[in-house]
Amino acid sequence: MSKKVVAMILAGGKGTRLEALTKKTAKPAVSFAAKYRIIDFPLSNCANSGINTVGVLTQYESTDLDAYVGNGEKWGLNGVHALLTSLAPRQTEEGANWYKGTADAITQNLDFLDENDPEYVLILSGDHIYKTLYNDMIDLHIDTEADATISVIEVDPKEASRFGIMAVDKNDRIVEFQEKPKQPKSNLASMGVYVFTWKVLRKYLVEDAADPKSEHDFGNNIIPKMLNDGLKMQAYRFKGYWRDVGTLASLHQANMDIALDDGMLDLYDVDRTTRIYTQDTYSVPQYIGPVGSITRSIANQGAIILGKVDSCVISSDAVIEEDAECTRCVIMRGARIKVGAKVNNAIIAPDVVVEAGEEINLGKDEIVLISNGGK
Amino acid sequence: MSKVLGICNLHDTPSMGQLTKTRPLGSLSFLSRYGLMDFTLSNFSNSEIDRMVILAENNISAIRNHTLDGNIWINNTRTGFLRILLNEPLLDRPKFNTDIANIQEHYSIIEDNNPDYIILAPTFFLMSFDFRKLIEFHEENGAEITCVYTKTNRGDKEYLNCDSLEIAKNNVITHSRANVGEGKKQNISLETFIFTREAFDKVLALSGKVSSLYGFRKMVSYVINHHRIPVYAYEFDGYVVPILSSYDYADKSFELLKYENRQKLFLENWPIYTTSHNTPPALYGPKAKVKNSFVANGAIIKGEVENCIISRDVIVEEGAVLKNCILFYGSYVGKNKKLEYVLVDKKARVSEVKNLAGSKEKILIIKQGEKI
Repeated sequence: MSKKVVAMILAGGKGTRLEALTKKTAKPAVSFAAKYRIIDFPLSNCANSGINTVGVLTQYESTDLDAYVGNGEKWGLNGVHALLTSLAPRQTEEGANWYKGTADAITQNLDFLDENDPEYVLILSGDHIYKTLYNDMIDLHIDTEADATISVIEVDPKEASRFGIMAVDKNDRIVEFQEKPKQPKSNLASMGVYVFTWKVLRKYLVEDAADPKSEHDFGNNIIPKMLNDGLKMQAYRFKGYWRDVGTLASLHQANMDIALDDGMLDLYDVDRTTRIYTQDTYSVPQYIGPVGSITRSIANQGAIILGKVDSCVISSDAVIEEDAECTRCVIMRGARIKVGAKVNNAIIAPDVVVEAGEEINLGKDEIVLISNGGK
Repeated sequence: MSKVLGICNLHDTPSMGQLTKTRPLGSLSFLSRYGLMDFTLSNFSNSEIDRMVILAENNISAIRNHTLDGNIWINNTRTGFLRILLNEPLLDRPKFNTDIANIQEHYSIIEDNNPDYIILAPTFFLMSFDFRKLIEFHEENGAEITCVYTKTNRGDKEYLNCDSLEIAKNNVITHSRANVGEGKKQNISLETFIFTREAFDKVLALSGKVSSLYGFRKMVSYVINHHRIPVYAYEFDGYVVPILSSYDYADKSFELLKYENRQKLFLENWPIYTTSHNTPPALYGPKAKVKNSFVANGAIIKGEVENCIISRDVIVEEGAVLKNCILFYGSYVGKNKKLEYVLVDKKARVSEVKNLAGSKEKILIIKQGEKI
């Protein structure tokens, strides 16, 4: 059956900048905001947008992520016409291949896309935190009769040289793409979210696969080639909260953005049009003890807070013992901060125990990661 | 392993007044994220009983809203099931709408599954109970019916109107009568029974001759007192939380705020499963003061909360002070309100009156959906 839109989520990144957090887990499966995993965001966005056929391209340490993706039930993507599947690199008669680049990941799954026969393909990244409905972007793509539409966000002009920058004309048609330019021609950064007309993209992928010089990457190869060929490339201006959580500092900050509830990313949307879905735990409700305190924070069920918590994200089954103090910490599931320990500006990895009386990172602004392998 | 059918019985429940007007007792919210029936269903599930039915007396939609497809309690979703049975023909004749009549109306579920044993358990005795041990005891004694009981030293104050059992040395129950508070030491029936298929059928057949007003509880007492079938007694020596009145409900909820009590009800490796609602984590504002309380996900707490049980999607605004309160799903307490010993039912809003107070003896209930 042909489908209007199929989404492909690139989730194979190694995430080395997240250090020990991604040692045994793919980056999109890293926990976020006390209850979620990062990939819940693009998957829930798809579900809420009515895009019910989704491929998740996994590669590095994919077992955990593949099991998590499962049959899609967590995001409702297991309905009668829905399909969520994780697509790891294949072993074929010619041997086993890793995905050589973002474009190659799609090329290796041409059969999946051909079978679903979409009109449009939505390419997403598995490690972005944002809430959106993709429908407006897809409508813009259709209305402007574009071959490709790239979601862009306005960044601080001083920061622009860190991003892939799109220069546009007065109709937001992309005229030039600059990858991390020294002298950016605009402040519109690519979010790595693309809508392609499938027939057009398919042709480019096949050509790119045959090019031995190509890195088989959307940003470096496919998009510049399409621009060069004069294809119609449209920019879609995304408004709202969007974060790439590729580093410890950005992961920590995005968690803080939610804990401090300054309205940047609303997880509590009452009308439930963009709710984020995830796997639940069967923990007992969270409990705040008789002398504990918790302010400017979020906490998930199963958490036990007997000490003092301010500006923190406390995941399920984490325990903050008596007289322990946590400020600006992201405490992942099952971690325990023992009696009298003090922790500041830290990410505490799952199941880590901070020993009684230990003091970590007090008075410092830099974010530290405490994992079972140490700091 | 034997084939077992687990029946979660929502008939014949104690009256809880206002709290059970709009819902069956089994779906009453407990400790901020559970429904009472979660304990019974999770006990089945953890005991590897994968075929379950809920005998509903009425209000099937409240039960469905809670159980959804039932899959959270089921291990294999092809071979296992959770069915909800409602005796529609007798809905307008509540006296005759007994658990026995309900299972008779749906007897095909027994025929189709042909269980070796049928276990019947209510939802108002909360415990972490391993049915596998009961089955073992039942088989060892070659029993036809076994009844689970607990020993109490507070029979004069607790378990009133429950069945009190006299038990012979060979573990056979010799007499069953209602506990009217005479005597502290008593053996209290937990209204949890295991039947062989034959004994189950015998009880159904006998009920037709004895009284069509009798449910299982009364029929088992009848069988005991008239010596029709030997009924064995199996002692559960674990922690039992009886929810037999609205006083019990509030009192036991607050008691479970104590760590030592909670550890006795919630055992390691014995999860209590409940329906997930995809609510975000609880959010605490800059001026939140929270002490000795349970808080469910989706709650937003900006005020002061002490000795409270706060359910999913509750909002407590800044300046509000809550002590010894129970807030149900989606309820709201506005700025600067002071509440003590108040139960705010589902989706009710306290936004007009300034102070509300009940007492330890009688918690004040703000009705479901009410705005005051």
